[in-house]
Amino acid sequence: VKDLRFEIELGQPDYPTQLSESPNPPAVLYGIGNPSALEPALGVIGARRATPYGISAAEQFAGWAAAAGYVVVSGGAIGCDQAAHKAALAANGRTVAVLAGGADVPYPRGSHALLEQITVDGAVVSEHPWGTEPRRWAFRTRNRIIAALSGMLLVVEAALPSGTFSTADYAIDANRSVGVVPGSIFGHECRGSNRLLCQGAYPICDISDLRGHLEQAIGPLARQADEPNLINPPSDDKVLTALRSMPMRPDDIAFRLSMDIVEVARRVSALEVAGLVVRHRDGRYGSVAPGC
Amino acid sequence: VRGRYTVRTATLCGVEAVPVDVEVDVGPGIPSFAIVGLPDLAVQEARERVRSAIRASGYEVPNARIVVNLAPGPLRKHGTGFDLPIAIGLLVATGQLPAAAFESVLAVGELSLLGRLRAVPGLIAYGLTALRTGMPLLAPSSSSLTMLPDLKVLPLELLSELKAGLPSPAQRREPAPAVTDRRLDFSDVCGQEMTIRALSIAAAGGHNVLLVGPPGGGKTMLARRLATILPPLTEEERVEAALVHSVSGLPEDDILRGVRPFRAPHHSASIAGLVGGGSPVRPGEVSLAHQGVLFLDEMPEFGPASLQCLRQPMEDHRVTLVRADGRLNFPARFTLVGAANPCPCGHLGDRNKACTCAPGVVDRYQARIGGPLMDRIDVVVRVERPDASKITSCEGGPTSNSLHASVCEARERSLRRSSTGENPSGSALLGQCDLSDKARGFLEASANRHHLSGRGITRVLRVARTIADLDQEGRVHEGHLAEALSYRQAGVT
Repeated sequence: VKDLRFEIELGQPDYPTQLSESPNPPAVLYGIGNPSALEPALGVIGARRATPYGISAAEQFAGWAAAAGYVVVSGGAIGCDQAAHKAALAANGRTVAVLAGGADVPYPRGSHALLEQITVDGAVVSEHPWGTEPRRWAFRTRNRIIAALSGMLLVVEAALPSGTFSTADYAIDANRSVGVVPGSIFGHECRGSNRLLCQGAYPICDISDLRGHLEQAIGPLARQADEPNLINPPSDDKVLTALRSMPMRPDDIAFRLSMDIVEVARRVSALEVAGLVVRHRDGRYGSVAPGC
Repeated sequence: VRGRYTVRTATLCGVEAVPVDVEVDVGPGIPSFAIVGLPDLAVQEARERVRSAIRASGYEVPNARIVVNLAPGPLRKHGTGFDLPIAIGLLVATGQLPAAAFESVLAVGELSLLGRLRAVPGLIAYGLTALRTGMPLLAPSSSSLTMLPDLKVLPLELLSELKAGLPSPAQRREPAPAVTDRRLDFSDVCGQEMTIRALSIAAAGGHNVLLVGPPGGGKTMLARRLATILPPLTEEERVEAALVHSVSGLPEDDILRGVRPFRAPHHSASIAGLVGGGSPVRPGEVSLAHQGVLFLDEMPEFGPASLQCLRQPMEDHRVTLVRADGRLNFPARFTLVGAANPCPCGHLGDRNKACTCAPGVVDRYQARIGGPLMDRIDVVVRVERPDASKITSCEGGPTSNSLHASVCEARERSLRRSSTGENPSGSALLGQCDLSDKARGFLEASANRHHLSGRGITRVLRVARTIADLDQEGRVHEGHLAEALSYRQAGVT
């Protein structure tokens, strides 16, 4: 793997322009993989403790953008970040992971295989020298690199408080446009992203929203890609319809729909088998994007 | 004075009383009293108790050389139950009691210095050995012994009573009907319909359950009420369960009345405490929970080694302990009920309080129970903390009595289907489920969706079969399968 390593100093011709023009660029960029992937990209970020909603949004938007030829940059963290990386890889696109430790120190644990896959066409980069273990404070400073490498930043799901906010702040400092996927007003999970919308971020509700902003911020798409339909078809099933409005526990559904709890449990489980809803790790069930 | 006599008794070896012959030889020589044949300290001390008890009962201790041999020699002898046989042997050998009376009697009991008999642990084990060898049991009077069918018990209170010959056999007492603990009832519980449903399924089908939820959700309270809806013990199960309690020196009256044991060891329990051990080897909690419930509160807090020790008993329904003395088997057919917080802070999925744990920490916490053990838990259910408004306006759920009735009915249905009572698997299980084409298609779709292994499918089918029994349905429908799937552990299949 050693031959894939590269180091680019600030001022060298192949140092990414969008990064050198941002406030406080790193003096040296250490990376593994393909340095040409460090072009203006779509940054996709979101919560580590993501719900299927955030994961689905990250997958759909990152997948489409990668298929259309945009590089997808993110932080390699579990949750939304990894969903974005994986979707970009699945679309045969390029993706860049910016780590808070050395680029050769896989973090989080267990992401070794994913990071290696990223280096095939894309890159894993860091401002920290080889072998540096990630530190708590380094995640925040790492976020400024994600923001700077991005031509546009997309927040798919963020709670309040959230590290995602710092990335959005850096993006605004670096004069990048910030798009946000709106979320339910009833849960913790989307309070941060909805707050960003109130503060003036662009709402991104479908692929054409994203496409318009990407073309303005980065440039025209390199190739046409199929635009997935994000809207679920209407359903007669009131349990499914309720879960599409927001994730709920079976007892909440039973209470709100005045149904028998055992009946709800059976219904939800059947919907899960049909692939229309998934179980969150906290016990709630939520709907997923069509085709997931 | 000269004489010798052999009295039959037994010593505890695990949950079994192994027959032992007590040979007493009184002969000329320097006066002494020796016990040989691998006695432990408690047996050695019998000399002093026997000497005093004999004198206090109006007999005489000969001023001669007394040797007591416990045969077979290589077997270690434990406990104070040898007092009575040694005393009888001595009295017969010296001609103070007639030999004929004790030829075929199994004698056991501890003596007080005044000649009164005291109970010893494991009387039921002695009783079963007496039954097996076809002898009456001469023992301190005990209420539980008289509940053993077919056993002839000769209850003895004072050593001096033997002057009048053997006591007359005790009347067999029919065990009183099972009385469940009325202080606990499911009707005290507000909401929690899903958990109560899961516990009914566990009670009806003997499935292992894990309750997951935030602190204060009522996991412990619900698990304790499980005891109120378990089907009563059958005659055979009563004796098996009572035997374990008896050799552990715990009261067995309730079990003999048909109440299933409910054991709730603290999470600091050692491996020996859980599966059995010590010297002499005593049954652990898994065996005390035989035919009943083993409740492990705060399950991830148990040591990983202790938890993994549960795997073999859960698979084989017994514990095999190999010690220097030999190999011991303890029965351990129990229903495991675990309770766990969803994460270290306990608030993952809590409506009122946000979880503060990092995602990786949650995974590691949930992994503490371990895949192989989770594989043996059929029903996982979330216990949510009810809203305060629900508690104050509680209407009360189903009563334990009504749940108990439906559990018993479901169990009868399953017993009618297969008389063995064993959990079926493979084609036998599929045959019992009698799936329609639609249900079969649903099962295949769910196996694909959840990446179910063969074992995973078996588990879903077993739970679905029990649910159908609770619903009084002969065939297993999609709804039963879907409900069974909802009790699946997230991520583990």
